[in-house]
Amino acid sequence: MRSNPREYELVAPGSLQAIVALMAEEPGAWLPIAGGTDVMVQYAAGKLPARKLVSIWHLPELRRIEVTAGEIRMGAGCTYTDLRRHEIVGREFSLLHGAAGWTGGVANQNRGTIGGNIVNASPAADSLPALLVYDAELILVSVRGERRVPYAGFHTGYKKTLLAGDELVQSVCLPRRFSGYFSHGRKVGARNAQAISKVCIAALGRLAGGVVEDVRIAMGSVAPVPVRLTETERIVRGRIVDSDVLISARKAAAEEIRPIDDIRSTARYRSAVAGNLVVEFLTRLTSGRTGEGRGGVADFLARWNRLPFDEAVNAILPCCGSKAWAQGMAERRPIADEAALLGASDETWRGLSSADWMEAFQSHPRIGESRASQSPKAQSVEWSAQEQRNVADSEAAVKAALADANREYERRFNRVFIVCATGKSAPEILEILRRRLENDADTELHEAAEQQRQITQIRLKKWLQG
Amino acid sequence: MTGSRESHGVVEISFSVNGEAKTVRAHPMERLLDVLRQQLNLTGAKEGCGEGECGSCSVLMDGVLVNSCLVPVLQAAGSSVVTIEGLAAGETLHVLQEAFLECGGAQCGICTPGMILAACHLLEGNPEPTTEEIREGLSGNLCRCTGYSQIVEAVAEAARRRMAA
Repeated sequence: MRSNPREYELVAPGSLQAIVALMAEEPGAWLPIAGGTDVMVQYAAGKLPARKLVSIWHLPELRRIEVTAGEIRMGAGCTYTDLRRHEIVGREFSLLHGAAGWTGGVANQNRGTIGGNIVNASPAADSLPALLVYDAELILVSVRGERRVPYAGFHTGYKKTLLAGDELVQSVCLPRRFSGYFSHGRKVGARNAQAISKVCIAALGRLAGGVVEDVRIAMGSVAPVPVRLTETERIVRGRIVDSDVLISARKAAAEEIRPIDDIRSTARYRSAVAGNLVVEFLTRLTSGRTGEGRGGVADFLARWNRLPFDEAVNAILPCCGSKAWAQGMAERRPIADEAALLGASDETWRGLSSADWMEAFQSHPRIGESRASQSPKAQSVEWSAQEQRNVADSEAAVKAALADANREYERRFNRVFIVCATGKSAPEILEILRRRLENDADTELHEAAEQQRQITQIRLKKWLQG
Repeated sequence: MTGSRESHGVVEISFSVNGEAKTVRAHPMERLLDVLRQQLNLTGAKEGCGEGECGSCSVLMDGVLVNSCLVPVLQAAGSSVVTIEGLAAGETLHVLQEAFLECGGAQCGICTPGMILAACHLLEGNPEPTTEEIREGLSGNLCRCTGYSQIVEAVAEAARRRMAA
């Protein structure tokens, strides 16, 4: 429902003093409106409860940025564009600078203000996690005077704040003591511009001799208000970031956030992404780089560790062929190195049902053929060809005997014969096949599973080479 | 800001539109977009989403790109507004308009006024933008026809012509 402008009052007294005086006359009755990027959206949708609005747009008192030795004080009416253009914000507060650049598009950055973002109190606001990790303080003003409050704690619940009915946020103060920190900010959304975040992170960290000396992590869209992940920070602080720390940090992050299902995402997805973002931050903090680049197996695994769950599953699936195995592997991330990967694979494989084993078996071609009965991944087809190279090169008579034995095996056990063929000649495989035809069903199932385990190990090593 | 209060909440609001001084009588919470289209008959700015997501209502206010659907008209008092109608000089098209025509940057036309004003705002601050900067400068303007490539090319072409002129 479109709102009727006749039902709304809007005044522009033009000075901060006149505005707070007006608000003091009827505390709570007047809604300040700056660039309107939130208020006008509610208004257009007929969902703006306030009927009296007071314009604070373009007030010089609210649009100054003052820098002292100890802090930067930004007027609440500074737009995102103002913040993006400010040299000190860009140099020392890159998380805020970055968030200002991915909030809305250019037009909304020209009108949306930092104070508006704070007071609107959306849990998804992109700049708010940055304010949390930078230990922001707010100066609130009313006719009663000014008060300075920590930003952490300003949001008392979903869309609720400490602000009294006659108060206005005047400025946002950030202490200038984080320029030596490594910072990592990221928005995960459908699109960079305009789209509201599914999850966003702002994180700062500092290492001393490889040990995490200080760490500060905040997230948006994962709870009713933007949150600091204090438990995750506690687990990481004072530690060397190894795979155990990454695993505990991921778990702690998932436990301390309270995501919900909504139109933009699901709680489950948000939990997975929140864990990934924490791991991504800690991995980059430790590698001291903002991009990829340690090279080799470590880098390959680090990238896989950071992939969205479904992509990670698809990437590793050809190593085995069982979806449950691939999902189990993706759930065990982050995986630090090759030994951990191979160990995780064996454990996951042994924990699967026989139906899952069967799925892996079906992804292989019959020995001596090139394609599996189920549609295998291209990578799996190529690896099968390498594994069975000796068979492909063998004599016609042996091939024919193998084909017969395969058919007999399939009649008996109702599935394709699985053997770790790498390095085995065709006559050797034929001998193994004939021996295994004597097995009872249960023994043979476990023998096939053991062969598949070995195949997976070999494939994982090839996979790590990229 | 000017804007004297009258009965029934209607106020007189003065601002400049495409270089001409205008005074309108409006409720202060009327949207700048509606005043431009309905009172001033400047229908170049379009209403797409009505919530600042699509950019088709973009205008320049004091040289700054804004979504006119999110501007209560009272906040435009005393400002200088430029709409798509104000870009051409008589029959001579603005360099961006020419480039959009030649590069196929306009199809159905709904997003075009906003796209051109966003590009205008971009080139004022950054006369030689990279492709990435063009994409960022237009990221708040949605197009459902062109796939954006021709639009980005049109802006790059206009930038080249401006520099050569």
